[in-house]
Amino acid sequence: MKSKSTLIIVFLLAFANSLAMANDEVNWPKIYKDELFHITKVMVTDVASPPVAARIYAYSNLASYLVMKNQGAAFRYPALDQNSLIGEISANANISLSSPEFSAIYALMTVGQGLMPSGYLLEEKKEAWIDFAIKSKIIKKKEVENHLAFANEIAQKVLAQAKADGYLQLPALTRYTPKEGPGNWYPTPPAYISAIEPEWRTIKTFFIPELNAYSGNPMAPYDLTPGSSFHTQMIEVYETGKNLTDEQRLIANFWDCNPFMVKFSGHMAIGVKKISPGGHWMGITGIVAEKAQISFAETAYIHAMVAMGLHDAFISCWETKYKTDRIRPETVINRELDQRWRPQLQTPPFPEYTSGHSVISRASAVILTGYFGDDFAFVDNSEVYFGLPEREFTSFLQASEEAAISRLYGGIHFRDAIEEGITQGEKIGKMIWKKVTKSELLITKK
Amino acid sequence: MLVGPTLPSMGQTEFEAKFEELKPGKTKVTFKNNLTEDSENNILRYEYFYNGGGVAVGDLDGDGLDDVFFTGNMVSNKLYKNLGNLKFEDITKSAGIAGKDSWTTGVSMADVNADGLLDIYVSYSGKGNEASRRNELWINEGNFKFVEKAAEYGIDDPANSTQALFFDFDRDGDLDLFLLNHHIQVITELEFDEVKKIRHPYAGDKLFRNDGGKFVDISEQAGIKGSALGFGLAVIASDINDDGWPDLLVTNDYIEPDYLYINQGDGTFRDQLTDHFQHISHFSMGADIADINNDGLKDIYTLDMLPEDNRRQKLLYGPENYEQYALMIKQGFYHQNMRNMLQVNQGSGQFAELGQLSGISNTDWSWSALFFDATNDGNKDLFVTNGYYRDYTNRDFLKYKGDYYFKQAVANEKADTLHLVTTMESTPVHNYFFENQGNLQFQNQSNTWGFDKKGFSSGAAYSDLDNDGDLDLIVSNLNESASIYENTTSKGNYLQIQLQGPTGNSFGIGTQVRVYLGEKLQAQEQQAVRGFQSSSTLRMQFGLGNSTLVDSLQITWPDGASQILHQIAGNQVLKLQHSEAKMQTGSPETSSTLFSKSKSIPDFVPDKNRFNDFKRQPLMLSMPGSINPALVSSDLNQDGIPEIFIGGAKGQKGEIYSFDGQNWTSFTGFTSSDEYTDASAIFADFNGDGWDDLFIVSGGYHDYLSSDESLQDRLYLNDQKGNLVLQENFPKYAVSGGPSLALDINQDGALDLFVGGKVIPGRYPLSPSSKVLINDGKGNFSDQSSTFLPEEGKLGMITAAISQDLNGDNFPDLILAGEYLPVSAWINENGKSFSNQTGSYFSENLSGWWSSLAQADMDGDGDLDLIAGNFGQNSQFEVSESKRLRLYAKDFDSNGSIDPILECFVGDQAYPFASRDELLDQMVGMRSKFTTYESYADAQMKDLFNQKDLESALVLEANTLNSYYFENTEQGFKAHPLPALAQAFPIYQILTQDFDHDGHVDLLLGGNQSQTRIRIGNMDAGLGLILKGNGKGQFQPLLPSQTGMAIKGDIKSILPLHVNQKSFLLFGIHGQALELYQSNEK
Repeated sequence: MKSKSTLIIVFLLAFANSLAMANDEVNWPKIYKDELFHITKVMVTDVASPPVAARIYAYSNLASYLVMKNQGAAFRYPALDQNSLIGEISANANISLSSPEFSAIYALMTVGQGLMPSGYLLEEKKEAWIDFAIKSKIIKKKEVENHLAFANEIAQKVLAQAKADGYLQLPALTRYTPKEGPGNWYPTPPAYISAIEPEWRTIKTFFIPELNAYSGNPMAPYDLTPGSSFHTQMIEVYETGKNLTDEQRLIANFWDCNPFMVKFSGHMAIGVKKISPGGHWMGITGIVAEKAQISFAETAYIHAMVAMGLHDAFISCWETKYKTDRIRPETVINRELDQRWRPQLQTPPFPEYTSGHSVISRASAVILTGYFGDDFAFVDNSEVYFGLPEREFTSFLQASEEAAISRLYGGIHFRDAIEEGITQGEKIGKMIWKKVTKSELLITKK
Repeated sequence: MLVGPTLPSMGQTEFEAKFEELKPGKTKVTFKNNLTEDSENNILRYEYFYNGGGVAVGDLDGDGLDDVFFTGNMVSNKLYKNLGNLKFEDITKSAGIAGKDSWTTGVSMADVNADGLLDIYVSYSGKGNEASRRNELWINEGNFKFVEKAAEYGIDDPANSTQALFFDFDRDGDLDLFLLNHHIQVITELEFDEVKKIRHPYAGDKLFRNDGGKFVDISEQAGIKGSALGFGLAVIASDINDDGWPDLLVTNDYIEPDYLYINQGDGTFRDQLTDHFQHISHFSMGADIADINNDGLKDIYTLDMLPEDNRRQKLLYGPENYEQYALMIKQGFYHQNMRNMLQVNQGSGQFAELGQLSGISNTDWSWSALFFDATNDGNKDLFVTNGYYRDYTNRDFLKYKGDYYFKQAVANEKADTLHLVTTMESTPVHNYFFENQGNLQFQNQSNTWGFDKKGFSSGAAYSDLDNDGDLDLIVSNLNESASIYENTTSKGNYLQIQLQGPTGNSFGIGTQVRVYLGEKLQAQEQQAVRGFQSSSTLRMQFGLGNSTLVDSLQITWPDGASQILHQIAGNQVLKLQHSEAKMQTGSPETSSTLFSKSKSIPDFVPDKNRFNDFKRQPLMLSMPGSINPALVSSDLNQDGIPEIFIGGAKGQKGEIYSFDGQNWTSFTGFTSSDEYTDASAIFADFNGDGWDDLFIVSGGYHDYLSSDESLQDRLYLNDQKGNLVLQENFPKYAVSGGPSLALDINQDGALDLFVGGKVIPGRYPLSPSSKVLINDGKGNFSDQSSTFLPEEGKLGMITAAISQDLNGDNFPDLILAGEYLPVSAWINENGKSFSNQTGSYFSENLSGWWSSLAQADMDGDGDLDLIAGNFGQNSQFEVSESKRLRLYAKDFDSNGSIDPILECFVGDQAYPFASRDELLDQMVGMRSKFTTYESYADAQMKDLFNQKDLESALVLEANTLNSYYFENTEQGFKAHPLPALAQAFPIYQILTQDFDHDGHVDLLLGGNQSQTRIRIGNMDAGLGLILKGNGKGQFQPLLPSQTGMAIKGDIKSILPLHVNQKSFLLFGIHGQALELYQSNEK
């Protein structure tokens, strides 16, 4: 008993030491953000769909968090694994690392590599990370081996968890066949891509115990009678799209986050790629972690929490989408109102209700609000790569509101899918916050 | 015994063609269609940037030598005077015919002003202004002087033209003009409905009527479609239906279907494509129309983009998108597949698409198609040019080139799409030359006949440039010198014909010529515009093989005047004058048919499979659930009028009708449930009371569980009043069944049952259990499968069963066939069990995708011969003993689903059939194995799985897809393939009967399969084919004009009916109304 507690003290000392050293010399949140972006880039290449991207973010960030936790890092809030449905994940190896941060990044990328088809592309990034760490004196060359061993142990545990979450079983399930009702979803132009992940509800969640309890509220029924809620909403999307202001157009594009937009020119078709909605919120998490200059451990913690939240929010939203199976505005407007009308954004290949971006943005914003506070202003430059200017936000919730309404401007969602999506996301975010921190998060909707 | 080619082919081995490409330095034809890509001129601004140029040949100065004209897309057009001996002189400058500096496309030669000299019409397109696009008409003033007079004639049209075709559509004696145009902008799906209705001034095709030298645009009134959806790439005129009026084929790129304009004879055309063709090329490009099988009927060939080799196919194939395909059909764009289509004319307006059977479906991104007799052996061979300068259809381009934008953004650099597309790789391919071997077979001779050089070729024309009696080739190439190919074949004899038409049509465009050598016929039609953007020689060429004499020749001029000549010497240029022909009177005789279609059918339309079986197991090739309707008949109430059971399917219950020879009435003594899919049924007296009972096999796939209660087979006993009562004590088992037989297995006087297990829903291709059910004589059955059959009846996927006493021991034996099974003999061991003794009865182990069996004495020797229906040869699969199909099945990734991976040969190597998307969709693990299309393009099974996995998998094999006649001999059954036309579709039902009452048994073959993967496409060449037997085991296909039958659809069952001295055939067609044909026997 005695020897054990001594050991812990030694651990903590070593940890505090390295942290202090690192904090002086390295901008950990920025490094975390940049290394995570390597994973994002591979996702873009592989065209990971939005829910698949969230799953990859969740498990890879969980790994880096678990490295820190199992190296005894102190955290502001309670543990993520114990307080989720997966339960505690602990390391067997009894090793004290001189730089848990180094191992955490390595584990992050190892899990990303294991989950992504083109994960092999991370091999050179991992090598580069080792070189960088040695050069920047984050770690000594002779210590590399045991750091990698620890990282791999955690990574393998996390990958084993991922392997059992139902993803591998998806191809064994019957593929989706669009229903034939007038209000049902049907693949959309221009590429008529088949429904993305119709069985995503079968994937294991981290926090949501029962999907039904978090489904979106009932939507306006399909009804083309003028004056009906559906008809009014259809007209709203149509008119909004026809009269977009420059600002609205900018907002729509800023939050587009379409991983694969197909551009046609005769026989030639090119897929133009962007980061997914989850990728955008990972970006925001990195931006604010850097701004707040939190520790590496806290950076890993909040990334993992937001990513796990994203994953649950996507599963919940996808459950609602394929249950409601609602038609996209483009389909019904072309059929009923105006054949030439086209949305500002390319319609994504899955049913409309609820709006995925609304659900996951709200869930992420709630978690970030819980962690960083409500009035945390930040400058979002995650879309600069795609030729879009930075945008300033006064709070996470404001950003999530804009992300949600952008889908109306983009012409790809009706208003109720957005508003109910926000409600759904908020419920999920709050539930996660409470499950982990054991405290109620009071947010007044804005 | 020989069941060989049914059409004569003249000594194809004697004439090996050889073409030699002559050096430009030698011929002085130095023309090069050079493209200069820059910011103004590129594929992004004009999507037909790499389509290439055209060629026209014709004797411009009347010296007996064909001169040559080339169009240059960006370079000046060139005219070469033929000096003889394959030497040419560039006289572009003195002829004043270089044309203007804008995008030039097609060219044709015709005597537009009717002065006896060929004029030249040049088409323009591109992104320039109207003036730059106005087409040119170069009037030949003699001595190689040309004057541009398009405006004067009213045909300086500013459309985006591809090609002009001069022909006398209204038969008023002068040449009219069809102008083929294309759109230069992308049309999105959203606009389809809208643009369909609007005539586009530059993209829409146009018809100009020649009113005394002035051309008038009559497109609208003549019924010519002119929407912006038209991306016209070829137009061919031909009297397709032999009514004397020239019809038109227009091929369209992209989604717009081709147009088959039938000349109505009143100054108008009507697009009747869907009446004649059942499916067409998707991205139709060049085309030709010619009689390829010497039956006097015109066959139609359209080109597309499907490559021959595995690698390029794998780089090209994307995911199967059933929803998008359904939408295409719904929006009226018809069944389109990306491959060359050969529509073989069956007469009576019917065509069977046989491109794959004939071996000419895959020639890559193809432009020009020309049928001509290269060897003078009497069969028209086929030349195809191809090649596209940039590999845009490479899937990696779509999926991963977009990374470029992202990478540029991350690197903070500007993205340049032009740079992206102009740095795309080019894959040169060789042109194709196919030898017509007769019997609908073409042999790829590209490498042996001199066309192994790889490049990018577009327009092409044939002509006997050196007047040595064979046809040479002129080919336009992109960024390379044009090619002159000298035909150096040691060839057969020939006859060339120079037509001297009436004033107005001096070259006799549209004239039909038929040449007879004994019984052998060759037919040609005078048309210069063929292939792509080009026009070929106006001197007709017939190959005579070893014969030096033509027995007779019949010429029919466009105005109907005709002439018959006899005993014409070969190896000469025969001049035929219109003035020597006479107008014919009298109408052609009409012959009677074996059957006439009856309008009387039951008000029961068999459902189409409401479930997409591929959503459950995407790697299957066709849907196992699409099997209805079964048909059987019996006089249930013994009133002298037959009752007909029409099988149901999930969602539609089976019904029984009575048919008195006139009317169908619903029969009330039977009810079924719409949970079942009726696979087969038997009317027989199972309880020995003298009244027929009904046994129904439940089958299907759909969303049935493998142990679904709806798979239960059902026995109904007749209450001796005609009411059928369901028997609750029938053995309980859940097998998705197929065929069934009622036979007295144990010779106790009661009919027992054999039921073939066909598939396990969701677990294809694992073997289901076949069943043996023994009858106690009172209609009480017991399941004795495990006693009678090995391995609990798991005999494989059984699709067909018949019974005869093979070993003469009076116990009925079984002959079974199935998917990946040999036709096999199961000997009844004294009524106690069945043992597989296939080896003793079949000399060859022919394992196939068998789908039907029938038996009859076909050769009059007193024993029963077999007919076995297979998948046929009209598909992408090339299968033989050395090129076996192998289906590996296992849950390779242990995720609970069977992964059925088909391996098939493409060329000399075997590859997985699945496209990369399909494979990755099936197995998550493959996603990291094959991260690009390139990485999968050459993958073989060993690259997908390790040796251990492959060894532990279930491996099913097939070594033939042919349908056979099995002759019953002393040495067992001897296999003879059925004739070529019978190999053109999967056969699901065979009826043996003497249909023409000549005393010999004939065969009626019903089949087709439209419930296939999109890549395989609709298999629809079987129109209800009757093979006339001669009593010696030989068969001759009859045409619809002889049988009176032309059934379009998936024939699942054929039921002969005899009511009140009348004979009928009732056809059960999946998803369509039944069809009834009455025998015309007097």
